[in-house]
Amino acid sequence: MEKTKIESKKISVFYGDKKALSGISLDIPEKRVTSLIGPSGCGKSTFLRCLNRMNDTIDICRIEGKILVDGEDIYDRKLDPVLLRARIGMVFQKPNPFPKSIFDNVAYGPKIHGLTNSKDELSELVESSLKKAGLFNEVKDRLNEPGTSLSGGQQQRLCIARAIAVSPEVILMDEPCSALDPIATAVIEELIDEISKNFTIVIVTHSMQQAARVSNQTAFFHMGNLIEVGKTDEVFSMPKEKKTQDYITGKIG
Amino acid sequence: MNNTEIIKKSLMKRHLAESRFKTYGILGIISATVFLIVILSTIFIEGKSAFKSTYIKLDVFFDPSIIDPDGTRNIDEIRFANYRKVIKNSLKNYFPEVTGKEEMKSLTELISSSEEENLMQAVLKNNDLIGANKKVWLKASSKIDIIHKNPEMKDLSESNRLISDKELEWFDKLTRNGDVKFSLNKIFFLKADSTEPEQAGILGSILGSFFTLVITLILSFPIAVAAGVFLEELAPKNRLTDIIEININNLAAVPSIIFGLLGLAIFLNVMHLPRSAPIVGGMVLALMTLPTIIIATRVSLKAVPPSIREAAVGLGATKFQSVIHHVLPLAIPGIATGTIIGMSRALGESAPLLLIGMVAFIVDIPGSFTDSATVLPVQIYLWKSTAARGFVELTAAGVIVLLTFLILMNALAIFVRNKFEKKW
Ligand SMILES: Nc1ncnc2c1ncn2[C@@H]1O[C@H](COP(=O)(O)OP(=O)(O)O)[C@@H](O)[C@H]1O
Ligand SMILES: [Mg+2]
Repeated sequence: MEKTKIESKKISVFYGDKKALSGISLDIPEKRVTSLIGPSGCGKSTFLRCLNRMNDTIDICRIEGKILVDGEDIYDRKLDPVLLRARIGMVFQKPNPFPKSIFDNVAYGPKIHGLTNSKDELSELVESSLKKAGLFNEVKDRLNEPGTSLSGGQQQRLCIARAIAVSPEVILMDEPCSALDPIATAVIEELIDEISKNFTIVIVTHSMQQAARVSNQTAFFHMGNLIEVGKTDEVFSMPKEKKTQDYITGKIG
Repeated sequence: MNNTEIIKKSLMKRHLAESRFKTYGILGIISATVFLIVILSTIFIEGKSAFKSTYIKLDVFFDPSIIDPDGTRNIDEIRFANYRKVIKNSLKNYFPEVTGKEEMKSLTELISSSEEENLMQAVLKNNDLIGANKKVWLKASSKIDIIHKNPEMKDLSESNRLISDKELEWFDKLTRNGDVKFSLNKIFFLKADSTEPEQAGILGSILGSFFTLVITLILSFPIAVAAGVFLEELAPKNRLTDIIEININNLAAVPSIIFGLLGLAIFLNVMHLPRSAPIVGGMVLALMTLPTIIIATRVSLKAVPPSIREAAVGLGATKFQSVIHHVLPLAIPGIATGTIIGMSRALGESAPLLLIGMVAFIVDIPGSFTDSATVLPVQIYLWKSTAARGFVELTAAGVIVLLTFLILMNALAIFVRNKFEKKW
């Protein structure tokens, strides 16, 4: 039996008066990859951003329901969202390295949280994070060059290394490959497979093939509702719901 | 009719509209350029003569009986000696034919009275001059300078000319002997205002402007950047911040003289700060510059892509950290550009400073923020409103100096923008 890392209970989200998600209850297993699929605008990103409270930064966004991480309510008043975001890292749709050196990009998280005690320790952490993200060999001679000088796929792996450096428990990925070519995408997918041994991963994707390739569990969203969730191969081979069937056969999308 | 024919029919008209619009645009640019060239060239033609002035070579005898009658080399004695008489005696030697008292007086007036002070300084510096004979280039008085610069005035009748026939005769004799020359007008660059045009300089008002702008920058930059960052990044978006935002935008459009009134009422009448001082001028201009820099700060912060903020916040940076570490550094070039432009506006400002007394006639070069001073545009205004003929070229020269500083500052703004703008 898998341990549940994140439990969402009847999450509804509103942007002003507009309801973007209604009553989503979804369990996310630990050290597994969960993918969120569905037509665009159905609320995948919104749900993902609830998990590390990134929606707090949007003034008009309001959330109802509960999200438990390791049984602890993350919307509890006593919980500091800054600490939560250190525990739950995020990789965005468009690679967004800081316009600083590759080294500084990865070192930034450990620095602000005071995770290392010496320069050497920091360099080691940067190196190991870049290695975990499969980027170290490509950039080891140019750690001082700007992160923005890398190719798109390398930038996205740099962003993954940057998230890994803080040693989060969960990594959220919002369509991490949508801006990348097929080869860079394959590299990232391999990487996701690799790091899922150590991290709980939630990935939003618009590609059903990608969901099928990388994830253990798949959740299908449609117009703000969670239609179906289950083991990935089951969802794709014998969907229980008509809507899921229509989506994966390309009838809606 | 098929589509191609329909489109062809209207094509002629559409192209014509475009070329008509282009013509208007080019005409507009040409007329603007012509106006600019006319203004700049008249100012330059009028003003360039002020950078040079006329000097007359005289054999000066540093007569001990005038400068140091007791032979004690007493500084006070040397300082208060009658140098006018020293100059008068050398002129008397040059023009032995002049005798009458009245005539002698106008002869002495060939030389600028500022030279009395210069001779005194020279003697103070070098006591050995006392008793010596030396050839010295002395600055000519303003009216001689004007005749020298405008030789066509010599042909006017005596009553229409600035100088009498006699004076002209003397000047011609000096010229024939090769004892008249043009040389750099050092006084213009080294002195403050004066009642005599040939003794008036721009340095006093340059320093006045400098001290004023230093205060303006020190006050407005940190306050405005802090306010801009707070409003754009940290403040909650609600009714109150909306009202503040509207008011700041309105403040940027308030006529500058209003800020002068405010300065007069508060800084002078309530706080009793010194009148005519750069510190008060700087405070008034800081009020005026604040909204400009606040707006520049907010615009530059807005231009930083939200993805940078999300990246930092997603890693667990606080909102403030994401701003200080990532967003603000990217906005700095824009903020700096806005600040320099705000400062160059402040440099060109005169109205609010008139109200707080920076329009006074000030002969001393200001040495600190609390000394009485005037600023460049006000100095130009003061010279323009003085009747004496010699101030005309000074006015234009003052404009040239002011424009030079403004062009330098704007060039700096462009340089900063191009050099430090980061691409992402
Ligand atoms: N910041 C926002 N402000 C207002 N509405 C938003 C915002 N972000 C998303 N929405 C709306 O919420 C719905 C879900 O959006 P999103 O979660 O981005 O969908 P997905 O990621 O599945 O494409 C959409 O209708 C979208 O218009
Ligand atoms: Mg999305």
